[in-house]
Amino acid sequence: MAANSKAPAAGKGAASKKNGLSFFKRGQASWNIMLVALILLEFVIFGAANPKFLKPQLLLTSIDDSMSVMIISLFVTFVMITGGIDIQVASLVGLTSIIIGVTWQDFGFSILQSCLLAIIVAAACGALSGFFIAYCGVQAMVVTLGGSFLYSGIALLVSTLSSTASYQGIGNFPDEFKVIGQYKIGGVLPLQIVIYAVLLVIAFILLHKTKYGRKIFLCGVNPSAAEFSGINSRRVIMSTYILSGIAAAIAGIILTSYLGTAKSDLGSDLTMDIVTAVVLGGTLSTGGKGSVFGTALSSLVIALLRFGLPLCFKIGTQYLDIPVGILLVAIIVGRSVASHQSVGTTLKSLFLRKDVQKA
Amino acid sequence: MKALKKLLHARELSSILFLIALFLVVGLINPSFLNSSNVSACFNTSVVYTLVAVGMAFTLFIGEIDVSVGANLGIVATVVGSMLRDGAPVPAAILVGILIGAAIGFINGWGVALMHAPSLIFTLGVCGILRGLMYLYTNGAWVENLPKDFKDFSAVTAVGDLTVYYCAAVVLTIVIWVLTTKTRHGRYFIAVGDNASGAELVGIPSKRVKVIAYVICGVLSAIAGIIFTSRIGFVTADSGDGYEMKAIAACVLGGISLVGGVGSVIGAAVGAVIMASISYLLVFMGFSSNYDNAITGIILIVIVVVDALIQHRSVIKNYHARLLARVSPDQVVAGATEKGGE
Repeated sequence: MAANSKAPAAGKGAASKKNGLSFFKRGQASWNIMLVALILLEFVIFGAANPKFLKPQLLLTSIDDSMSVMIISLFVTFVMITGGIDIQVASLVGLTSIIIGVTWQDFGFSILQSCLLAIIVAAACGALSGFFIAYCGVQAMVVTLGGSFLYSGIALLVSTLSSTASYQGIGNFPDEFKVIGQYKIGGVLPLQIVIYAVLLVIAFILLHKTKYGRKIFLCGVNPSAAEFSGINSRRVIMSTYILSGIAAAIAGIILTSYLGTAKSDLGSDLTMDIVTAVVLGGTLSTGGKGSVFGTALSSLVIALLRFGLPLCFKIGTQYLDIPVGILLVAIIVGRSVASHQSVGTTLKSLFLRKDVQKA
Repeated sequence: MKALKKLLHARELSSILFLIALFLVVGLINPSFLNSSNVSACFNTSVVYTLVAVGMAFTLFIGEIDVSVGANLGIVATVVGSMLRDGAPVPAAILVGILIGAAIGFINGWGVALMHAPSLIFTLGVCGILRGLMYLYTNGAWVENLPKDFKDFSAVTAVGDLTVYYCAAVVLTIVIWVLTTKTRHGRYFIAVGDNASGAELVGIPSKRVKVIAYVICGVLSAIAGIIFTSRIGFVTADSGDGYEMKAIAACVLGGISLVGGVGSVIGAAVGAVIMASISYLLVFMGFSSNYDNAITGIILIVIVVVDALIQHRSVIKNYHARLLARVSPDQVVAGATEKGGE
C-alpha cells in the first residue's frame, strides 16, 4: 500500500525518478495546472450554457454554499498527509452549530462566548480522536467512524436541552452574528470569502513554510523514521486532528450564520465532498504527499460543479452526487493506474538488483 | 498457528459474552425485558444488519473496505420494490436484485483489485453515484403499495419467535463460516488480507480473491436490501443511508480488524445483533432513543481502543522475548513459547 503512494499522480514520465524531491514538486505543480484548466473548462461550458453563470454576484454567492467543504478540506489535507483520514468532521459541523444555538438561546451566553465554546469543544473532540489514533495506535478510519457516531449523538442530545424542538432549528440570531455569513463587503464580496482567504493563507504557511509542516510530511512518509529523527510524531499526528476539528467548528459557525438557523444535523452530508476535494487536490490517501493549494483548487472545482449543473443544465441538486462520485472514482482510478506502472518497474528493478547481488 | 486460532476464537467469544452481558444488565434493570418475544425482537431486527455486516466482513478480511453497501442496499430495495409493485413475480425481482448487487460488487472489486484504487475512496465515490442513481430512478418518491404477501412474509416465524429471515441469515452465516474456515479456497480471503504478497507467492490469485470478496459483499447487501423491502414494506429515497457505518461498527464489535486477515463472519453476525439492539435496549433502560448514536459511538471507540492496547502490549512482549532470546541463549525456549502464545 505504502509503496503505491510514492509515485506522484500527474507525472507519468519516469525521467526524473532519480531526484525524488523535484519530481514531487513538479508533479504537484502540473497537477495544479490541470485543476486550473478544469476550472476554466467549467467556466467555458457553464458560461456558454447559461451566461448568468458568469455574473460575479452570482458566482460569489454560489461559493458561499460550498464554503464548509472548502474550509474543512483545507485542514483535512493535513490529516491525510499524515496517512490518516477524518470522517468525523461532518458531525462536528452539526455539533458546533447546535452548541452555538443552545448556549446562546437557552443558557444565556453571549454569541461570542457561544462561538468560542463551540470551537473549544470541536478542538477537544478532535483531540480525543487524535489521541486514540496517535497514542493508542487505532486506525484513523475506525476512530473517526466512532467519533462521527459519538459527536452526532452528542449533538442530538444537546439539541434536546433546548426549549425549541430539534427539527425546527434555533433561529433569530443577533445581527452581529449574521454578519459573519451574510455580510458583503461593498455589497459584492462576501465576508465568508475573506475569512476563507485568511484561512487559506494560514494553512498554506503552516503546511509549506514552517517546520511543523515539514514534520507533518515526514510523519506521513515514514512515522518511525520521523520518530527516530527526533520528531514527536504522535503529537504531530494528534495536532492535525485538532486542526481539522477547529476547521469544522469555523465552518459550523459560518454555516449557522449563513443559514440563520442552528441544527444538530447540519453538514451531515459533507463527508464525500470533503474527501473528494482533498483527494482531487493531489493528496495521497496513503499519506506523505499533498498541498493546500491543490485542495483549494479542487474544492473550487466541486463548488462550481455543484453550482453550475443545476443553474445551466437544470439538474436537480439531489442528483449532484453522481457527477461528484464519478469525478472521485475517475481521478482515483486514473491516478492509481498511472502510479502503479512505475511502482511495478521499481519493484522489478529491486528484485533484479537482489538477483545480481546474489549472483 | 493453533494458538492463533485460539485467539481468533476468543475474539468472537468475547463479543458473544458482551452480548449476553448486555442482555443480562438490561434484564436486571428492567426484568420485563427478559422474555422470549423481546429477546427475539432484538435478533429479528438485526437481520438486515447481519447480512450487510457479513458481506462487509469479506472486504475487511482482505484488508479493504466497502462503504457503498448502504447505497447498494438502497438501490436494490428500490428496484425490487418497484418491480414487485408493478406486478413482477417475486423470484424474478429477487434475481434482478441479486444481479444488481453482484454487478456493483464487481465494479468495486474491479476498481480496488485490478485498478489498485484505495478502497475507501473508490467505494465512497461509487456510493455517491448509486445514491444519485437512486434519486434518478425514483425521482425522490417513495416506493409503496407492495404486495401484501411479500410484506407479510417478514412476520412468519420459524423457530420460537425468530423469523424465517433471521433463521435463514443465521444458517447462511454458519455455512459461510464453515466455508471460510474449513475449506482451502475459503481460507484464501484471510490469507490475502494477512499478507497479500505472501499469499501471491504461495500461488493464491490475490486479485481474483479480492474481486470475489467484493462480489460476495455486493450480493449479501442485495439480499439485505430485498429483506429490508419486505420488512419495512415501503422504500424511501434515502433507504440504506448509514448502514455502511453500522456494518463496519458491527464487524469491529465482532472482533474483525480493519487491517485485514483477522476475524470471522460469526463475529460480524454477533456484532450486528449488538448494533441493532442498542436502540431497542435503550428503551427498556428508560433512555430516549436520542442516546442511540452517542452510545454506539462510545461502545465502538472503547472496544477498538482496548483492542489496540491489548495488541500493542502483546507486540511489545514479543519484542522483548525476542531480544532476550538473542542475548541469552538459555532463554530461547522461554522466548519461543512466549512467541507462540501470542
